[in-house]
Amino acid sequence: MLSGIRPTLFVTGAVLSILAIAMVIPAIIDAVFRHPDWRDFAGAAALTLFIGLSLLAANRGAHHQTLGTRQIFLLTAVGWIAASLAAALPFGFSGLHLSSADAVFEAVSGTTATGSTILRDLDHMPQGILMWRALLQWLGGIGFLIMAIVVLPTLNIGGMQIFRLETVGGDRVVPRAARLIGSLIGVYVGLTVLIAILLHIAGMARFPALLHAMSTISCGGFSTSSGSIGAWQRPGIDWVILFGMLIAGAPFVIYLQLIQRRWRAALANWQLPVYLTIFLGATIAITLWMWFGFNMQPLPALRHAAFAAASVMTGTGYATLDYTRWGGLPVAILFFLAFVGGCAGSPAGGIKVFRVRILFATMRIQMIRLLHPHAVVDSVSDPVAESVLGYLFVYAVAFAVVAMALGAFGLDFFAAVSTAASSLANLGPGLSVYVGPMTNYADLMEPAKWLLSASMLFGRLEMFVLLVLFMPSFWRP
Amino acid sequence: MLLDLRPVLVVNGYVLLILAATMGVPLVVDLAVEGTEWSAFILAIAVSGFVGLGMVLSARRPGPFRLGTREAFLSTASAWLLGGVVSALPFCTGPMHLSVTDALFEAVSGLTTTGATVMRDLDHAPASLLLWRALLNWIGGIGIILTAVAVLPFLRIGGMQLFRLDSSESGDASIPRLSKLAWSLLAGYSLFTFILAIAFMIAGMNLLEAVCHAMSTISTGGFSTSDRSLGHFSEAARWIAVIGMVAGGTSFTLFLEPWRRGPAALFGDSQVRRYLMIIVIMSLLLTVWNWSSGHMALGEALERSIFNATSVLTTSGFHWGDYDSWGGFAQVAFFIMAFIGGCSGSAAGGIKVFRLEVLFAAAGIHLRRLLHPHGVFAIELNERRISEPVVRSVLGFVMLYLICVALLALALALTGLDAGTSLSGAASALGNIGPGLGPIIGPAGSYQDVPQAAKWILTAGMLLGRLEVATVIAVFSRAFWRS
Repeated sequence: MLSGIRPTLFVTGAVLSILAIAMVIPAIIDAVFRHPDWRDFAGAAALTLFIGLSLLAANRGAHHQTLGTRQIFLLTAVGWIAASLAAALPFGFSGLHLSSADAVFEAVSGTTATGSTILRDLDHMPQGILMWRALLQWLGGIGFLIMAIVVLPTLNIGGMQIFRLETVGGDRVVPRAARLIGSLIGVYVGLTVLIAILLHIAGMARFPALLHAMSTISCGGFSTSSGSIGAWQRPGIDWVILFGMLIAGAPFVIYLQLIQRRWRAALANWQLPVYLTIFLGATIAITLWMWFGFNMQPLPALRHAAFAAASVMTGTGYATLDYTRWGGLPVAILFFLAFVGGCAGSPAGGIKVFRVRILFATMRIQMIRLLHPHAVVDSVSDPVAESVLGYLFVYAVAFAVVAMALGAFGLDFFAAVSTAASSLANLGPGLSVYVGPMTNYADLMEPAKWLLSASMLFGRLEMFVLLVLFMPSFWRP
Repeated sequence: MLLDLRPVLVVNGYVLLILAATMGVPLVVDLAVEGTEWSAFILAIAVSGFVGLGMVLSARRPGPFRLGTREAFLSTASAWLLGGVVSALPFCTGPMHLSVTDALFEAVSGLTTTGATVMRDLDHAPASLLLWRALLNWIGGIGIILTAVAVLPFLRIGGMQLFRLDSSESGDASIPRLSKLAWSLLAGYSLFTFILAIAFMIAGMNLLEAVCHAMSTISTGGFSTSDRSLGHFSEAARWIAVIGMVAGGTSFTLFLEPWRRGPAALFGDSQVRRYLMIIVIMSLLLTVWNWSSGHMALGEALERSIFNATSVLTTSGFHWGDYDSWGGFAQVAFFIMAFIGGCSGSAAGGIKVFRLEVLFAAAGIHLRRLLHPHGVFAIELNERRISEPVVRSVLGFVMLYLICVALLALALALTGLDAGTSLSGAASALGNIGPGLGPIIGPAGSYQDVPQAAKWILTAGMLLGRLEVATVIAVFSRAFWRS
């Protein structure tokens, strides 16, 4: 077991070293703006780098080992948890005087690209902290993207095996995976730059434009203003972010295919039509409700509705208006959208469009079988359907447990239910006024913050990566 | 193949005739006690008797019946719908003068053993109407037990094929055996009702109250004779109701087993064990919550928690006090419990415990398969292997159920209700429970206050839930009408 754990420690060391290097960026920014926080960032960076490099040095050579399934599970889980804890260091050290629950909550919310915050008055935060929050989401987003495309399919998590890379087995996998990761990072960086430029053109200053681009492409949702995107009150900015969120929630494989000019392959993607249909359906329903129910002009109604739908569905969590005050229908629609989530192979959270589609297909086949017991119908392969079923059940149970616990920590019914759904789906804000898009999580009880941190990690790691570690047979040699 | 409408007509006709005969009971009671409602009941008896007789007679054409899958689907769905419509007649023609919407809501709520009510001031309602509501619960209860034992396994609704009487794949259980089983189920059901009624009387209810509550307890219906539900009665009555509700939510065929195989048969059933376990765990959690939050003493917390948790888990819908005011944890817990439901083959609604067992096992297998990709795993319940088609069928059902909750909630929100009320109202209607959460439809509120359109949506939801969703959807599918 001792040699089995070495790759895990090696990867953790690598992740921590990357984080340490990332901490230097806010340190430099704070130093330039002469804010004393730069020392905290530098200290945190030094500490993290020390741990990271020690782990790397102690386990050098481990990356030549071939990895077993269990080791991949372990290094994925440990890597995320270690990264989240290390990311909390600058929050804990900084002049904000955050408790450890608050610091970890903010950090986990960042690395899991959730976007819930416990910080008040973001508009007057030092730039270093704002930069660090956006960086966390950006790194968390690309981390999850790589995990979702390269790692999870090989682990068969909840039906993800259908996204396995074409060649499995043999030596070609590793260089192929490395090339894939390289092009994913390229696309991710490119899209970030594109959104940042568009935001700047739409009227945002350079610094917030960059930060919002980073937390848009990662489906994160940290803003530089407590009023979220609504604070700018510019339709242009709303449209750019909306477009960015939709791009971020779509399968990233499409962008690689577009670059390689494989138009047909990109068009044949079966998740995309489902994703866009659900998004459009929700947008139209909310628009009509706002138009006729609230006497809003049709175009602003469309903008706000589409923004809210995209924000909740992709698990970003930005808001232009406080959608919790729009009345029953929009809130109910957004509540269900939070469960659906974005596409697999994107930084978005939730159950994911492909699973919803598989569940629908299985349901439809069952309905046909009721009337024609021996009909031969195209069907999803058995292990995949069973995996998705298992996934759905665990998701539902996790939701129930988190919601009940939040209820016990003092939230009312709808606040508890929507916050549980929101944290598991890595969305961010809940759907009740108490924990809505224009408020923050600062007032929650301490244990509730720990619970939500755990729930965000649980959801981000597609639940089973963590659950597997609790099986006795996992630890048996 | 053309649809053979004759069996559909016969089934519907008999249902109407049975309902007409049942209406005789409140009619007699009314003539003997108050004499205000008799004209309404006579009118209803005349209409349903006439239509029912006409249906039965019109189907008397020569040739053997063909009761195929589609006929069974259509008979089941239409009989419940028509039964609901006819049962609504005494509500809207009598001096209570409920609107058509309200009368239909009340009747369907009764027949589906939901227990949601639009009537106010039940304590002063005429005895005959109270009796009619309880009778609706009672008939609906035995109706769904028989449907669940005889029809649903044959239709393979949501894994119900597990409960086929004989293991032959053809699915045609022999008619004599079925009818023998039906009579013994009816006898057992009546016996339970009788015992409960006596017990309620000993606990201090008068004859009418005891009979009404006995009928709506064993059927997990939840219609009461008081606005305060069982909060109006003695503590002993509430404990009796708890026992009655637990019995009502248990697979009824199992009650026939002890005569043959001893009581071990009842507790040896994994579904019943899990069902009891869920009730105990949820009651204890709520007790701890109520006690620690300081509103109640330990004894009171225990009693109130057990009563209300049992009521929601068995999908009865009685209440003792306003459990909606117990705070966040209790609200969420009651919402989650609304999905669980009782055992299959009982009068309880919801997703049902055996389906959750299958789901739980499927999740466990997925987890084990992650570590051992080539392992062979099988789901076993009651030492019987659950075949792949059953698992699929359960998956289809649960998905359909959740989508129905979502669509109902969206439809309710469209009528102007807030999101929390819509969500809990949808779950409560589809689970055939009764009260929801929140000030409007919570235990302290009344369905009288929801918009008219919402009442129709809820009525549809109750019927959908009662017929295990798929039965109704199948009738509306294109494949059904394509011959």
